[in-house]
Amino acid sequence: MSSEEIKINYTKKELPAGFSRLGFILLIVGVILVLLSFITDYNRTTQNSVIIFTFLTSISIGSLFLVALEYLAGAVWSVPFRRISEIISFIIFLLPLFALPSLLNFHGVFHWSHPEAVASDELLKAKAPYLNQTFFIIRNIAIFLIWWLFYTFLSGNSKKQDSSFDQTLTRKNIKISAVFMPFFGISLTIVAIDWLMSLEPHWFSTIFGVYYFSGTILSALACLTLMVLYLNEKGLLVSGLTKDHYYSLGALMFAFINFWAYIAFSQFMLIWYANLPEETFWFITRWQGGWSYLSYGLIFIHFVIPYAILLPQPAKMDPLRLKLASIIILIAHFYDLYWLSMPSFSKDEVLFSWYEIAFPILAIGLFITVFSIKSKKINLVPIGDPKMKRAMEFKL
Amino acid sequence: MNDKKLYSITALFNTPDEISKAAEVITNEGYQKYDVNTPYPVHGLSTKMKLKPSTLGYFALVLGLSGAAIALLFMYWSMSIDYPMIIGGKPFFALPAFIPVTFEVTVLMASVGTVLIMLFFFFKLPNNSHPLHDTDYMRKVSNDKFGVSIEAKDPKFDAEKVKQLFSDLGAEQIEEIYYDEDEINHKNKVFEPRFIAFLFVVAIIVAGGTYFMLNKLLFMSPFNFMMEQHRIDPQSKETLFADGFGMRPPVEGTVARGFMPYLYQEEPEKAEMLLSNPLFATEENLKLGQKKYNTFCSPCHGYFGKGDSRLNGQFPNPPSLHSEKIIQWQDGRIYHVINVGQNIMPSYSKQLTENEKWAIVLYIRALQRALNAKEEDLK
Amino acid sequence: MSIDYTREISVIEGSPSFSAVNELIARPLDEKPDKKFYFALAITLSMLGTGAICLGITFWFGTGVWGLNNPVGWAFDIVNFVFWVGIGHAGTLISAILFLFRQKWRTGIARFAEGMTIFAVMTAGLFPLIHTGRPWLDGYLLPYPNQHHLWVNFTSPLLWDVFAVSTYFTVSFVFWYIGLMPDFANLRDRAKTKIKKIIYSIFSLGWRHSHRHWHHYEMIYLILAGFATPLVLSVHTIVSFDFAVSILPGWHTTIFPPYFVAGAVFSGFAMVQNVLIFIRKIFNMEHIITMDTLEKMNKIMLLTGSMVGYAYGMEFFIAWYGGNPIEFFVFVNRAFGDYAWSYWVMVSCNLLFPQLFWFKKIRTNIKAMFVIGVLVNVGMWFERFVIIVTTLSRDFLPSSWGFFTPTIFDLGILIGSFGLFFTLLLLFTKTLPVVSIAEVKAVLDHAQPKHHHGE
Repeated sequence: MSSEEIKINYTKKELPAGFSRLGFILLIVGVILVLLSFITDYNRTTQNSVIIFTFLTSISIGSLFLVALEYLAGAVWSVPFRRISEIISFIIFLLPLFALPSLLNFHGVFHWSHPEAVASDELLKAKAPYLNQTFFIIRNIAIFLIWWLFYTFLSGNSKKQDSSFDQTLTRKNIKISAVFMPFFGISLTIVAIDWLMSLEPHWFSTIFGVYYFSGTILSALACLTLMVLYLNEKGLLVSGLTKDHYYSLGALMFAFINFWAYIAFSQFMLIWYANLPEETFWFITRWQGGWSYLSYGLIFIHFVIPYAILLPQPAKMDPLRLKLASIIILIAHFYDLYWLSMPSFSKDEVLFSWYEIAFPILAIGLFITVFSIKSKKINLVPIGDPKMKRAMEFKL
Repeated sequence: MNDKKLYSITALFNTPDEISKAAEVITNEGYQKYDVNTPYPVHGLSTKMKLKPSTLGYFALVLGLSGAAIALLFMYWSMSIDYPMIIGGKPFFALPAFIPVTFEVTVLMASVGTVLIMLFFFFKLPNNSHPLHDTDYMRKVSNDKFGVSIEAKDPKFDAEKVKQLFSDLGAEQIEEIYYDEDEINHKNKVFEPRFIAFLFVVAIIVAGGTYFMLNKLLFMSPFNFMMEQHRIDPQSKETLFADGFGMRPPVEGTVARGFMPYLYQEEPEKAEMLLSNPLFATEENLKLGQKKYNTFCSPCHGYFGKGDSRLNGQFPNPPSLHSEKIIQWQDGRIYHVINVGQNIMPSYSKQLTENEKWAIVLYIRALQRALNAKEEDLK
Repeated sequence: MSIDYTREISVIEGSPSFSAVNELIARPLDEKPDKKFYFALAITLSMLGTGAICLGITFWFGTGVWGLNNPVGWAFDIVNFVFWVGIGHAGTLISAILFLFRQKWRTGIARFAEGMTIFAVMTAGLFPLIHTGRPWLDGYLLPYPNQHHLWVNFTSPLLWDVFAVSTYFTVSFVFWYIGLMPDFANLRDRAKTKIKKIIYSIFSLGWRHSHRHWHHYEMIYLILAGFATPLVLSVHTIVSFDFAVSILPGWHTTIFPPYFVAGAVFSGFAMVQNVLIFIRKIFNMEHIITMDTLEKMNKIMLLTGSMVGYAYGMEFFIAWYGGNPIEFFVFVNRAFGDYAWSYWVMVSCNLLFPQLFWFKKIRTNIKAMFVIGVLVNVGMWFERFVIIVTTLSRDFLPSSWGFFTPTIFDLGILIGSFGLFFTLLLLFTKTLPVVSIAEVKAVLDHAQPKHHHGE
């Protein structure tokens, strides 16, 4: 197969200047806000960093999962969008930056790390072989190193293909993706247990890894959809992308909204029904005082509203409604993580003010800046992919 | 052929590309009453034929929502209004526990209902007789050909023009389809005797079967052997035991709960020595004692224990309870008298419970103290 | 060996003509069954007969003839129920979920898998009915205004099962029937005898391949697939609720819903793969049910098997992490207690052997994949046995621990359930087209117009 046959009509263009400028401004504002919050309330800021860390983990490793999934499933429609997911997953490299504040204030964030708390608590003593600071740091560093490795291989091969048009690279990436999948499942579960479940060290739920996984895929999809719609509107992707290509994005988001609701309901219902005190206290905290409004709100923002938006078939291909849905989903995932972690720090009152906004602003700014820098160097479409031609002809 | 009318003119094509083209041309020519018959759904034909998007989705939505509402309302009514019962400590309206059934009913109503609407409303069942059935045309589109059929009822229909159009499009086989006026307009009459008889027979079979199942079958052996187990009825003769009684007397020396026999029937001194009042002089116990005293003792002993009977001499007056002798008695002795009786006073052991007897003792003590108050009581 | 990624893999190999496909699928229905068929039917019918005799004895003497005892009140009856419902999950997954994901390779196997779903659910539905001991009173499971003025308990997971299984059966059946409608019309038009023609005419409901009908038909297929997808998840989820809403150690764990669904799909795919290996050989359908299709099924088995393995690991980890000594004891007891052998059968068959599917050589070797498929089904049966029996025999109170040993009636009914399932399957292959004629035609290489522009 000569390279000419699969070449497609793509010319690389610069991202609009306003885009990267916006990113830069948000980045500066974010940095200032974060520094300010560090000075005024050190504890709370480090606790907030858990939320933004898990949020960015979701988006970045979720995007890498989408890339691997495309290779394994042999999906065709998503090929023109794959490079965008690859760029988003570059954020894996920046994750330690967001993990750092909570690691610096380890005792302030993770209750189980206090030796005196462990000494007086039989349960924590029993859990100590897993929940101890050394093992925590070792396993998390190992996970991130391996994630970096997978990212480097997958996206490296994909970039190489842009110029070499070599089909064996696709084959290689399929193999790498297959190895990545089981590792992804286990590592994401460990991250979920370590960073979210262990905030309330007495509580446990076997489905928790799956719960975090559902939010991860959902937010990665929403982030991809948002970027695809924006870039395609500005004409930065290949021409000829139609509603048929969008449809699968919308349909997958819709499917995962349902999946999240299914997992969340299963977790809640089983704990509610069995009514065992060692489990229910976690939900009782979230069903008391101001937190109860947040819990009801979660059902609406994470399920009812995006479900209603994406339910009609035309909505799954309509850019406007897709954009709306993906923004809501991204907010909902942040909301979800806030709901998972914050009540552990402040049981009685709902804490929300500019402290909680600081990190998200920084993250958005960083995301846009990273995206503009990365997209300067590489194509936004994997033009060398052997499935690209078929992808452009894709019809529902 | 004379009594048959022309229904439509049909043409057969070989490839999906040809039929696609044909559908486009025929639509653009302005024909309305025409149909395309293909052995499988050909992509893009709906657009070529300018068909409106199917509205079945709305039916599914409405049916699904009503299914959810029916299930939830029914569970709410039956579980918290009609027969409220606490189950597993859950509230009457236990929403999380109702969601599975709500979901199932939603899916059931929406899917089955939408299919029925499609079959009966969109496909107009049970009209199974259509002129195209049982024609060579139908046999071929069933297998591997792609057909188009323009009806004679179409306002623009003109047999010659249609045939010309078909052959221009490269049709392989052009055929005229006729139909029988009678056959197509035949209506199944609801009040036909045979139909009514059929319904009648069905009704009898269903009703009879149900009656047999519920009232006969379930009472046949072996279906009711669990109800007819051998058992011993109380108060009836039974050969199992030697004495012929079904009921068993208690083992000798058995003491029924709450019926401890009184041990000092003839020994008031022993009772005085060994028994002591288990109750404390609380307000509650004194109230109880007062109530029981007024009921059982005061007719003879008087409200204050002075022996001033209200029986107007019909029964000998008892001595006062304030005598030195009785004040000197231990509680056990008064209890003994209540239990056993003294002189002509009968036993009150059956009328009063243990607690009540001791409460009366307490009350008598209170009465004695009231009449012989000491200096310190005034403090 | 290299795959050309620029080309789509043909779903049906060799691009046969429409009429050849039609002939191949429909002809077996015109021919008299051969000796092999009767031989197979004799075997399955005698299995069914064994089950029927054991059931009759059960009804006569009561469920006491089973090996149940006081702590172990659920054993083979519920194990078989969960096992067969699980088998039923593959069909709907193939016909609905893969349809929504536009996986065209499903067309060759969808009809058969859906048929297996219906027969498996029928077999499964038998067990809750017979385990009541007096199945003629099962009408009380339905909420109808009865003479006691009592309603069923809507908060009980056992009642959710009634709704879930009956809805699942109904919707699967409707889905199957909708798929069969065009094929009935096809058979009607090629029928040679009058009786066949009348029967097929009635079942085809007046279908005449009209595109105005296809237009709605495609919509209803999408809607039904959209409903069947959450439905298939909900059914095994609700089956898992039977256990998970309780507080018994080893049963109450939140991962049960997705874990049961993955396990169900896993065992269902193994069963479908096993049966299809025979079908494609007997009916000469190697180009319709291709090696590529079988390989993809094996990949899905690898995926779901690993998901089940993840759940095993997660359960064990959280049993330790949760810090409840009784919970942890139950899991240790599963692995090293009285029933350790069944636990290790389960782990090796469900987790270890399917890992061989990582190798393409094994994925595409008929004999190897057949053996692994059988092992998976053995493993999945034992998974339910482990979950139900080990937990019940060792719950909170050591004074009421017990041990379950199946009797000959338990085994007879298990054999009978296989007999019922395979008898129905054999009859199905001779009465209905085992592959969807219309759908297979639609995915032939030359089936769709070359340059259409949708929307």
